[in-house]
Parts: sequence; C-alpha cells; structure tokens
Amino acid sequence: MSSAVGLGAIKVTRGAPIGEALAGLMLTVPAGLAYLVMLLLPTMATILLAFTDYELGLPDWNWIGLGNFTEMFEDRGFGVALRNTIIYVGFVTPLSILLGLGIALLIESGIRGRATFRAIFFLPVVSLTVAMAAAWQYLLHPTIGPLNGLLRAIGVSSPPYWLSSSDWVLLSLSAIGIWENIGYNMVLFLAGLTAIPRELYHAAEVDGTKTWLDRFRLVTWPLLGPTTLFVLTITMIRSIRVFDTVAVLTQGGPNKASEVLLHTMYKEGFTFLRLGYSAAITLVFLVMVLGLVWLQTKALDKRVHYG
Amino acid sequence: MKSMLQPFTRRAFSNLALGALVAPAVKAQSLTEITVHYSQPHVFRESKEAVAAAFMRREPGIRINWVTTPNYDEGTQLILRQAVAGTQADLTYQGLNRLRVLAERGICQDLTPFLHREGSAAEQGYSPTILGLGQTGGMQAGLAYAVSTMITYLNLDVLRRIGVEPEAVSTNWYGIIELAERIARLPNAPDPIYYDIGEWAWSALLYGHGGQYMSGDERRFLMESPQGLAAMRLYQRILRDGRMPNLTTPAAQQAFGAGRIAIRFGSTAFLRNVIQSVGQNFQLATTIMPVIDAERGRLQVGGSAGMLLARDPVKQEAAWKFLRFSTSAEGTALMVQNTGYVPCNQLAVDDPRWLAEFYRGNPLFAAAMRQLPITVAWYAFPGANGVRISQTISDNLQRLVESRATPEQVVQDMQREVTRLLPRNT
Repeated sequence: MSSAVGLGAIKVTRGAPIGEALAGLMLTVPAGLAYLVMLLLPTMATILLAFTDYELGLPDWNWIGLGNFTEMFEDRGFGVALRNTIIYVGFVTPLSILLGLGIALLIESGIRGRATFRAIFFLPVVSLTVAMAAAWQYLLHPTIGPLNGLLRAIGVSSPPYWLSSSDWVLLSLSAIGIWENIGYNMVLFLAGLTAIPRELYHAAEVDGTKTWLDRFRLVTWPLLGPTTLFVLTITMIRSIRVFDTVAVLTQGGPNKASEVLLHTMYKEGFTFLRLGYSAAITLVFLVMVLGLVWLQTKALDKRVHYG
Repeated sequence: MKSMLQPFTRRAFSNLALGALVAPAVKAQSLTEITVHYSQPHVFRESKEAVAAAFMRREPGIRINWVTTPNYDEGTQLILRQAVAGTQADLTYQGLNRLRVLAERGICQDLTPFLHREGSAAEQGYSPTILGLGQTGGMQAGLAYAVSTMITYLNLDVLRRIGVEPEAVSTNWYGIIELAERIARLPNAPDPIYYDIGEWAWSALLYGHGGQYMSGDERRFLMESPQGLAAMRLYQRILRDGRMPNLTTPAAQQAFGAGRIAIRFGSTAFLRNVIQSVGQNFQLATTIMPVIDAERGRLQVGGSAGMLLARDPVKQEAAWKFLRFSTSAEGTALMVQNTGYVPCNQLAVDDPRWLAEFYRGNPLFAAAMRQLPITVAWYAFPGANGVRISQTISDNLQRLVESRATPEQVVQDMQREVTRLLPRNT
C-alpha cells in the first residue's frame, strides 16, 4: 500500500515539483492526524481546562482565570509535592547516571560474561514497575522483610521503617527509582562507548597516558559528552515522571511525605474530582519537562559536540 | 500476510452468518443484557458471582456483564467518567460514603418509587436503618448490599504466651493497653497492637465516645469538642502505650498473618483475606471492638450499596430486579458466606434458615454481627471537598502516629483545615 504511493510520488517528481510537495504532504497526513488527535488537541483541552473550575461529573463550570494557579501557591499539598519531586530527581538523576556509567565501563572492560551482565542490569527496565513494587514492598517490610532482618542480624537494633516513616520514605522510593534507571542508562552508555574509535586510545597511549584514570579523563569522558547529555535529559524526564511506585507503595503518605507532582495531579483530578485544578498542575509539569528539553537543545548541546 | 488473512476473513464471515441466524432466536427469548459495576473484586468477586448464578436461575432472560474497579475511589471515577460520556453502567455498587457524590450530580435514579411498587419495605427485610444507609441528597440513592464494621483480630498463640485465654480478653481499652504492655515484655515479642491507620478506622474512636464529625445541620465541624479531644488522646495512648508500629495497613496485614502482631483492629471486610494469610501460622479469633462509652458509644459502618443508573426502561427494570435480588434475604445470605461482611437484609438476620448454620460453623464471622445494633452510617462530608476532608484528617492522624504532634495540636489543626474545606455557609 505505502510502497505504491511511494512509487507514484517518484513518477510525479519528474514532471511537477508541486505534485511532489503534495505527495509529501499526503504522506505526512497519517502521522499529522495522529499527532493532532492524540497529542495536540488533548494538550489544548488541558490548557483550557486549567483556567476553569470544572469538576468531574458536574454539569456546569466557570472560567476562573488564574484561580487554579493562585491556589497552587497557597496549597501545602502542591508545595510539598513539588519539593519532593525535586528531591527525588536530585537523588535519582546523578546516582543512576554515575552508577550506570560505572557499570557500563566495567562491562565494557570485562572479558567474560558481558551479555549476561548486560541482561542482568537491564532486567529492571523491562520488568513491570507495578509488579516490582510489590516485590519491593516485601523486601522493605519493616518487621518481616529480609532487608531489616539482615540489618537486625548485623546488630542494628531498630532499623528504619522504610516506606512508612516520613524521614525515610522518599529515600526508599529514590533507591527504587535508581534501581529502575541504572540499566537503561547503562545500555545508552554502552552504545556510546562502542562508538569511540579505538585509535584515539592508541594515540593517547603514544602521547604518554599511563593510568586508567587518564584515559577516562582525556578520551572516554569527553567523547561520551553527547551520550551523557542525552542520558542526563532522559533520566531527569523519567524521574520527574515518577508515579507508579508512589501509587502502589505509599499513595503519597505518610502525611504527604512521598507526595510527588504526578501523584498529586492524579489525586486532585480523579480522587478529589477537581479536573480544572488537576489540569493546572499538568501545565506546570509540562512547562518543567519542556524546560528540560530546551536546556538540552539550546544551552548544552553546543558544548558537547565536537567537529 | 495474504495466507494469514484469508482464513481469518472466512471465519469472520461464518461468524457473521451464524450471528444472523441466531439473532432472531435471541430476540424471541427477549434477552436483556445489563452492565453491573462493583469495586474491590479481591473482596467481592466470589459473592457477586454466587449471587448472579442464583439470580440467573430465576431470571434466565437477563444476562449480566461485569465491570470492576480495584477500589471504591476508582469505582466512583469510572461512573463519573462514563456519565460524562453517557455510557454508564446500568447498576453500580459504590462505597457507602460515595453515594452522595453521585446523588448530588444527578447520576442515579431515586429508588423510592421502585421500593413502593414492591410493597412494604420492612416485609422484604429493608429495615429503616438499612434504608438510611442509602439515603442521601434527599433521595433513596442506593440500597445497602454489604456492611462492615471495625472488629478485633486476636493472635491466640501470643495471648496464651502471656497466660490470657480468648474469653478473658478485655472489652475496654484500658484492659487492651495493659495486655499490650504485657505482650511487649515477652522475649522476642511481636508488635502488641496495630490499629488500622486512616480516617475511617479512626472514626470508631470518635463515635465510640458518642461523638460526631459534624453538627446536625452539617454546618460546623466538631473535632474541637470533648469527644473529639478524648478520641484523639485515646488514639495517642493506643499508639504510644500500646507500642503500635508505624506500618501501612497492607504491611500490617502481612505482619499479622506472619504472627508478628498480636492484636489488630481493622475492618471485618478483610476477614477472608486475614484467614487466608494466617493459614496454619497460629490460632485466630475475632471479637467486638473495645467499648468506650457503653451508652452513647456508636460504631461507623463501611461497605457498599447498589445504585440504579439505567435510564432505558427495559434495562432499568432488569437492573432493578438484580439489585433487589442481591439485597434480598437470599442474596444477602450468599454475600455473607462469600465475604467477611455483615448481612444488611433483616430477614437474613432474623430468619434462622438463611445464616444461623453458617454462623454456628464460622464463629469468626460473628464478631461484626454482634455490634450491628450500635452502628451508624459511613459519613460523607458535604460539598465539593468531601473526599479531600477525609484525606486531611488522615494526614493529620499520621502526625500523631509518628509522634510529631500532640493530640491537642492535631485536633486544633484538623479543626482549622477542615473548616476551610467545608462549603461556605449561605
């Protein structure tokens, strides 16, 4: 089907450039339609909703201008969620990048079992988060879980209540987030590492680099620049989107200690039924994600590409 | 590609042909299909299927399509979303405190005319108390299907280690806390007490003191009251002197099943799950909640009620038939035997042929029954922020659980925060 259209387009090209443009347009129609219906229209609808007081199921609604946004500033729940999300991203992004890079370097320099280690570390990425969360819930169970059993065995008299203590819950969730992201980052770094030309290492050796650290500092790290930038952006976006572990393990508790942006948005919209307010939170979230993407393309992209 | 497509199309064609042949036959039997929604399939599936099987023997012309949601929250969302799209189920079983949301939005049918048509409500086993659970927004918005209360779960093995027989377990909080202190002194002691965390479970302490959330006219929040403060102070004693661990409710359920919690206070709705998770680990018993004020003390219920949504007269009739059957003595008896809930239909309670034998054989199920006379409705806060208020109360309770505030502070903060969320008085 599509090949037939393609052939037609080529034939037209010879005679009329307008036909070519038309065929090009035609070819983009399916993707364009999908983009319009699945992405652009819902986004526009969300933007409109954010300026209303619409509640799920109520027949009438009013324009309230910036009402939702001013409420957000006074809302303790939103403030806590924003702070928690930033803390979560602050833990997960650097640690999962550093650990992912470390593991990638180890696997790359290893001789045996590369495929096995790759598979082992990549498993968390392909496993279903919701199912894994149940496993984590058991591992971290304060009284009958294996982790605290181990801690007690080595003499910690009262190990933390990982998921129900407001001091620990965000750290515990971050640890799960790091575990989830390491494998993904590792695979990206492995791809980046294989793309580095071997000759550069030989050249560096000729120029007198002796230690492993020098080779890393002078060759590997600079040439991994574009990969690292991509990994940084994608990890930040992935971790800012944290939702399933919170929804399954803590529901934002105890006392909002693990409330994060997306979970607040979900709760406001679907538990408290305030879709207008929820849409406003979505907008804030969207702006944050777009900001990160902008940061990648504009501010940092120039610095990491060579040649 | 082609070779795969061909047989598929052929089969589709033959299906079509078959369907065309069968369709008139179905019409002749006038088969009515209704969509019925309920929440918590892990708790309710067996009971719903048992009720439906009995119903279908009686009404072969009605077929039921099930839709389920994991919990009451999502159940309400689903119906609201469907109502916006105009595709809602014909019948839905909603949490008793969610009726208000659907009734206020005009999504459900008033059941009063349907009940009138069937004759005396009392004769069918619908007592005024049970009807009251389904009344909100000035109408009979639902018919209670399953009712639960807080009960006490006991690990008898632990109690025997401190020399207490099940019959001797105290029925007041002073006695319970004293037991907890003795359990805590055992070698390799399990956690003595767990009281389910959250607004619903906690409200048993408020009602137990004879208190209430709101004034009769629903204008004033009554946390700052002698009963509210007394309930909060008792809660602190349970937490502190009872040495209650700060677990989430699912984590506590696992720990109790593993024998690491001695006494748990939670909904009887979990009974079947508790029995399963305890297995052969220890001997389990249940009893009523500790009594706080023997005269004025009350106990809130949880549970669900069926609400009629269908507008099409044929489907409405079929859905009403199923709702009526599921809440009849027969349906109720089936529900009770397949869950941990308490029967709603008075005939099922009074007439020994329905459940007497079941309770004789399953004494664990009887604790909640014994408390039925003092139950009050599951309260839903008024206005758009109703669900949010419950969350606010839960959040503040958590501060006490982690001993980050005093009962007095918690009561004050709750009073202030909840008052702000209530509808402005007009």
